[in-house]
Amino acid sequence: MGAFEVTILILSFFSFLALGVPVAWGLGLSGMITVLLSMPPLIAVTTIAQRMVTGLDSFTLLAIPFFILAGALMNRGGLARRLIDFAKALVGAAPGGLAAVNVVAAMLFGAIAGSAAAAASAIGTIMTDRMEDEGYPRPFSAAVNITSATTGLIIPPSNILIVYSLAAGGVSIGALFVAGYVPGIITGLLLIIVAAIWSKRKGYPRGEAWHLPTIFKTGASAFPSLLLLVVVIGGIVKGYFTATEASAIAVAYCFGLALWYGELKMKDLPDVLAESVRTTAIVLLLVATSLALSWVMSYENLPQAITESLLGLSDNKVVLLLIINLTLLVVGVFMDMTPAVLIFTPIFLPIVTALGMDPIHFGIMMVLNLCIGLCTPPVGSVLFVGVGVARVRLSQVLRPLLPLFVVMIIALLLVTYIPALSMWLPGVFGY
Amino acid sequence: MRLQRILAYTTAALLAAQVLIVLWGVITRKLLNAPATWTGEMASYLLIWIALLGAAYASSHQAHISIELLPQRLEPEKRRRLYRLIDSLVLLFALLVMVIGGGYYVYMTLMLGQRAPGLGIPKGLIYIVAPLAGLCIIYFKQKDIRHGRV
Repeated sequence: MGAFEVTILILSFFSFLALGVPVAWGLGLSGMITVLLSMPPLIAVTTIAQRMVTGLDSFTLLAIPFFILAGALMNRGGLARRLIDFAKALVGAAPGGLAAVNVVAAMLFGAIAGSAAAAASAIGTIMTDRMEDEGYPRPFSAAVNITSATTGLIIPPSNILIVYSLAAGGVSIGALFVAGYVPGIITGLLLIIVAAIWSKRKGYPRGEAWHLPTIFKTGASAFPSLLLLVVVIGGIVKGYFTATEASAIAVAYCFGLALWYGELKMKDLPDVLAESVRTTAIVLLLVATSLALSWVMSYENLPQAITESLLGLSDNKVVLLLIINLTLLVVGVFMDMTPAVLIFTPIFLPIVTALGMDPIHFGIMMVLNLCIGLCTPPVGSVLFVGVGVARVRLSQVLRPLLPLFVVMIIALLLVTYIPALSMWLPGVFGY
Repeated sequence: MRLQRILAYTTAALLAAQVLIVLWGVITRKLLNAPATWTGEMASYLLIWIALLGAAYASSHQAHISIELLPQRLEPEKRRRLYRLIDSLVLLFALLVMVIGGGYYVYMTLMLGQRAPGLGIPKGLIYIVAPLAGLCIIYFKQKDIRHGRV
């Protein structure tokens, strides 16, 4: 127990990562190696297996496959296109109009689907071509699409906030969901502003002028999709049903709507289900092995050691939050969001609560922080989806991504140091 | 690729069943005023099955996220060797943790007579999916190792 095991754990994990071992298996392998050093072999492997299966045995986690399935149904069912048309009528007339449309559509779609990769693929597929037709270069469209897709992780419902609630020992999902609105919308607005300035400087065109009847027409067509948000979030906040039940209702609702629009056929269903299972299993295997590794870390007393050394470094809240944010930014660059949340929440949460930070505020800050890592190489899952659907090269999007990163960091600083941004709305709803 | 299709259809059916079970729980509680006690538990156990069998299915497609920086820089012959090493590591984890560790965990819960509180079935029967999925992963990975993917 101690420094040797911890060194092995960290070294082995990064070696597996660098070799190209899938992240989920790398987490499990380094956890396994570390416990093998401190326990009899059979007990060690049994403990890892036990942590994996019992970690998955959770009613809360059920919401993850359901929101993924709802997102897949929305994508196939033509709901995404209706949201884009509505967003275009709303903000298309602004400078950099179509870029703003992309951001708003991603916020709406991400809000319903709860997954950034799903939003990037659904909106990016449609928007990149439309934007190119009107004179926007594809790398710029891709950069806007990639960064704006992450806002859906903060605007509820959000799978990652469900994962955080689990890692933080049962922080209210309803409160977390409500807390995400203001930070998510602020991030979206900042992205729109940067995209507008960039578009104006480069002379990209505005969209069609503001036209009230079009807003009503597209609004009416997008209304059933938007109503789902009210049902899901309203139901959770009012306590009519749990997040898991709400996600199952979302599946039924999206399924009905997609059939009614006539864009989804019953024979497509097995495909949609299998595709959702694959996405789900990728996330849940990460959950299982991250929980096992997180258990190994606390068995080796790692969280306590980090807490003590960090609190020994400084007792200034501003400085400590800066250190935590910088650490998480680096973590986010190298690690996918789910394991990062599951592994680092137990480490950092005791520190920030000792500093008087609310677990809800910390959750929003952490997710917003890790969103930046989703858009950076080498493990940015949203980056790769966005680059893929836009059919551009990674090196081309890095330049237009830079100013967007800067405002994401500004949004992160605002959310970190102004607790009211996260805590005001939950207060209004009585959490 | 028969096992791959069996896994795809099984997990897809389990996911559909899971949605219906949770909806049934809502209906019995809100509309019928006679909440079914088994739905939450049943759906959670199905999640373990979907996650682990789905993980085996995803691993047959090489769908789990990884950093491809090093493999992409290598020439094909070296890349093939690196992939063999990676697949062997995954196989090792599946064998040691999922099959042996998972199998022993199933054995222990059966010996201790642990039962699911609502459904009453032995918990070992639920957890048996861990060694089962481990065996599927071993099957897929030994195939990858033998054929040598690039």
